[in-house]
Amino acid sequence: MIKNYDQLTSLEIDTLREIGSIGTGNAATALSQMLGKEVRITMPEVRIMGYNEAIEWIGGPEAVTAGVLVKMSGDIGGIMLSVQKLELVNFILETMLGQGIQSYEELEELQQSALIEIGNIMISAFVTALSGLAGIDINLTVPAFAVDMQGAILTVPMAEYGGMSDYLMTIGGNFVCNGQEIPSHLLLSPDLRSLDFLLRKLGVSDG
Amino acid sequence: MKMLQGEGILVTYALGSCIGLCFHDPKLRLGALLHIMLPLNMEAGRAHPLKYADSGIKETLRQLEAKGASRGRLTVKIAGGAKMFEVSGGGGLGNIGQRNIESVHAILKRENIRLLAEDVGGKVARTLLFDVASGQGCIRSYGQKDIIF
Repeated sequence: MIKNYDQLTSLEIDTLREIGSIGTGNAATALSQMLGKEVRITMPEVRIMGYNEAIEWIGGPEAVTAGVLVKMSGDIGGIMLSVQKLELVNFILETMLGQGIQSYEELEELQQSALIEIGNIMISAFVTALSGLAGIDINLTVPAFAVDMQGAILTVPMAEYGGMSDYLMTIGGNFVCNGQEIPSHLLLSPDLRSLDFLLRKLGVSDG
Repeated sequence: MKMLQGEGILVTYALGSCIGLCFHDPKLRLGALLHIMLPLNMEAGRAHPLKYADSGIKETLRQLEAKGASRGRLTVKIAGGAKMFEVSGGGGLGNIGQRNIESVHAILKRENIRLLAEDVGGKVARTLLFDVASGQGCIRSYGQKDIIF
């Protein structure tokens, strides 16, 4: 039987946490190589929560944020989303281009490309770790980018798979660079069949 | 879904591909604000009827009529149905907004509810405010002027 997020056992949730942890570690390494700076991560927090809870956790529905979205296909289907709040945006832009921004409205094409590229690298590093662990093949689309109210951005994976699930899996971790903590949020939303398949591949599902 | 009679403002935040529907019976000064996420209810247990255009609109009408609203007087204004991300090679991803718009149109027509105004599609998120006394709606978007409709 295909499980919904709220029916997962604690062993299954721990496994997803572990994936989140390894994936985020890979993403931090990729970021560090790209920026030429040491980037470490704090213990990532993996949470499975309803939409309203997820929105509050990230900072309210109307707050504006940048999002980089990639669709997964192949052995598992789903969406990965990198939510880039202003602190992360400025960290990337200051390191890569020497100058940050005050608000998202100042984003120009070159800066936007830098953010897309970093989001894409972090997502790809995460997915590479995931496919290595589970021994599966995952294809990724070219990344898409949007700056808008985060409520609407976070709804994308829910609307896409909302017919099946009311829950989102969110992975939050702080990157630490030069003693400064920068919040980063990655959302992994496999469709439910893929979630089930993934757990079986990792050998923890009883189904 | 939120319902209010007399005076006050109903709000739903950050509609992306979702659609907000403002139902209004001017005589009773009765309003309802429904926020749907998907076009059709194919849920087996039907635990969340208000999440879908078809079952959501039906349930909202049922509750409005229980308060004395009449179909002849009821009007509706809608906003939302945007495409937040343009994913190349993503298959059907992002079409959900358009499918929501089409479904809402078809169901309103079938239920005989007059669609007074709409601001749908595009690629920006919308916060929708609805004044139940006057029936006026206001749309707030990032980086754009407010729209009164």
